[in-house]
Amino acid sequence: MTQWRPQFEAALEKLAEISSAMDALDLNPPVLVGGAAVELYTQGAVNTGDFDLVSTQQSALEAIMMKHGFVRPSGPGKATRGWIHPDLKLGFEVVGSRLLDGLADTSLLQMIEIQAHGTVAVIAVEDLIADRMGQYASGSASDMLGQAKALFTLSEGLDLHYMERRIREETAQVYGVQDLEDDA
Amino acid sequence: MAFKTLKTTREAISLTALGERIAKRREVTGTVSVPRNDGTRRTPSKQALLDEIAKAGGNW
Repeated sequence: MTQWRPQFEAALEKLAEISSAMDALDLNPPVLVGGAAVELYTQGAVNTGDFDLVSTQQSALEAIMMKHGFVRPSGPGKATRGWIHPDLKLGFEVVGSRLLDGLADTSLLQMIEIQAHGTVAVIAVEDLIADRMGQYASGSASDMLGQAKALFTLSEGLDLHYMERRIREETAQVYGVQDLEDDA
Repeated sequence: MAFKTLKTTREAISLTALGERIAKRREVTGTVSVPRNDGTRRTPSKQALLDEIAKAGGNW
């Protein structure tokens, strides 16, 4: 039994099907990042608005998304790079081609099996924490520290050496793992 | 391997197993408060997408 909301699980299922289709064509599957990855790793403690994806093959990915029922909103006032699935009422957006500007170790991606639908590739929780800390360090996203601490608290088996390096990289050396442990 | 095009070092985990793992952590840590993004940093593209999802009847 899982405890994510049904629409979130439906989005994971659709992403798994699309990822399998990409792989079948010898194309790298997209990587789930951002708030949806936080929702996944915290078991729904925070709800995201859509799925952010990183893909090195955006055109091919979006072509496959269309085959799976996604449409790009068009018309006046609808200037979005995102796609919606009208039936499932969910949105996907490709937000970049390199995972955290190429600083993340892609060998540490976490594969999550979504029953018979396939598998999704998700940003490593260490990199997700580092990303949140980087946004917090920028001074414009105080809420990100809370997300980073929650991810740290709810995760196990973290590569602390790697995470220390990645947090330092994302925060211009200002923060480290210790800052997650304070009042965590 | 889950994907022939993507080689990783970590063992894949099922969604069910992930849920059980997090639930066990919750038993140890108690309630964990996770602040939602405050929404003030959304790009125009992101806001437009969220608006379209809402128009479609999405309840995210």
